[in-house]
Amino acid sequence: MLVLWGIPQVIYLRILIFMRTRTQQSYLSRMVNVLNYIQENLDNDLCLDELAKQACFSRYHFHRIFSGMLGESVKELVRRLRLERAASQLKTSGMSILQISLAAGYESDMAFSRVFKAKTGLLPSVFRNTLKANYPCSSTASIRYITNERISSFEPLIEEELTMNVMIKQVDDIVVAFVRHTGPYQTCGQAWDLLCSTLAPEGLLGGDAKMIGVSYDDPDVVDAKELRYDACISVDDSFIQPDNIGIQTIVGGRYAMISHIGSYDKLSTTYRQLFGQWLSQSDHEVADKPCFEIYLNDPESTEPEDLVTDIYMPLKENNHGKN
Amino acid sequence: MEKIDLYKLHKADYIQPKEPVLIKIPTAHYLKIDGTGAPGSTTFDAAVMALYAMAYTIKMTRKKHGKGDYVICKLEARYWSPTEQCLSEIDKSQWQWQLMIRTPSIVAVSDLTQAADALAAKGKTPSVHQVKMNEFEFSNCVQMLHVGAYEDEHYTIKKMLDFANKKNLTAKREHCEVYISDPRRVPAERLKTILRMPVS
Repeated sequence: MLVLWGIPQVIYLRILIFMRTRTQQSYLSRMVNVLNYIQENLDNDLCLDELAKQACFSRYHFHRIFSGMLGESVKELVRRLRLERAASQLKTSGMSILQISLAAGYESDMAFSRVFKAKTGLLPSVFRNTLKANYPCSSTASIRYITNERISSFEPLIEEELTMNVMIKQVDDIVVAFVRHTGPYQTCGQAWDLLCSTLAPEGLLGGDAKMIGVSYDDPDVVDAKELRYDACISVDDSFIQPDNIGIQTIVGGRYAMISHIGSYDKLSTTYRQLFGQWLSQSDHEVADKPCFEIYLNDPESTEPEDLVTDIYMPLKENNHGKN
Repeated sequence: MEKIDLYKLHKADYIQPKEPVLIKIPTAHYLKIDGTGAPGSTTFDAAVMALYAMAYTIKMTRKKHGKGDYVICKLEARYWSPTEQCLSEIDKSQWQWQLMIRTPSIVAVSDLTQAADALAAKGKTPSVHQVKMNEFEFSNCVQMLHVGAYEDEHYTIKKMLDFANKKNLTAKREHCEVYISDPRRVPAERLKTILRMPVS
């Protein structure tokens, strides 16, 4: 409970609005730092950990916030900016097409020309000699390659009609039995089978046992075959761990929860909206631990459009003095 | 081994017509638990929990032992009145019900005992020993899809009764509901429930 004694309500509300605006600004300005860093380091290997560090974002969640706010992944943005820079170099520099191709990250001028033509309709040599040729803008957040300047702001991707029912919940620690799955999410059924068939004879599928999934990687960034996912079922302290099953605690705390209704294939869209739109406009900070999902129905006997998944995003405690 | 999906195999038993139709549902096996009380009451919810706990424990234990796999079917519930009065005329706390999940006949009594003992040993799901395997024949029924809140089912039931009367059929003082939607999540006005009324 917030203690309001001594602070007139109006002033309190002003403080709250100010804090919120400040946090939104903070998401924007931190992302602007990342974008400038990317612009200045287009020739370097841009690793996500370094980018997250540049803006003091949780390394777990940086990429989801990024692609949610920008509407494209870091990889896509970098590839696009390198091509835009190449277009600018074609027009304004004397560099050879091969040099430009290599600088844009292509192995040969052939490969570069193919991609460049697909984007502009013109071969690089023709583009160079056509006065009116422009490189098309395909960025949703109007971020374009700029020379000798710094980006000062941008329009984050906001869908006006999108309503997100996000609840802030205090979650207790959850002890879970789990099986780790590494590979595409579509094949995590094997982990669930092993977990359920091991726990069933022990009488552990009854009561209020919850089916929980913990994903450690962003499928937009990590190769499908390397995605780590834990299939978990909540157990109590008396659980004796069989050989092939792990045990761990999902750390409690403040979480933002949203229900995703529909196919599991579309979970990533809800994640993107939660991180890119809800979080960046809220006065909350995501904590440096993974999200988890609670599955409320059985995918075997439920139509995909009726599946309900509660997504929990961890929040930093005592954010801006709030409990 | 092929996974058995009784709901799909017997699609004809689970048709969802917008107007009443007459169908015949043959004998089938069900995991079931009986009780008295209003749907949504503590007893009712405990029975739902016990039935599901048994269904999944039996399925996964059998799977572990290489006895094949099957899909857990939708929850069905038969409701009837303990008196001569109609269900709508008596207090819901007096409603008698049987909650059922259609289950392959290969599931043996020993599977049930084993599952109930394991669950009871953990003590978190009471009434698991009341879950039994039952053979049941609905036989001739009027069936129709109800879309909307459970409280509004009497409109659909009235329609089904009128239909039965027109066909000179007598409805028994009971009906069955097959829950297509998840009431925890689907807004009441969009809930889908198959209503089934045995007639003779």
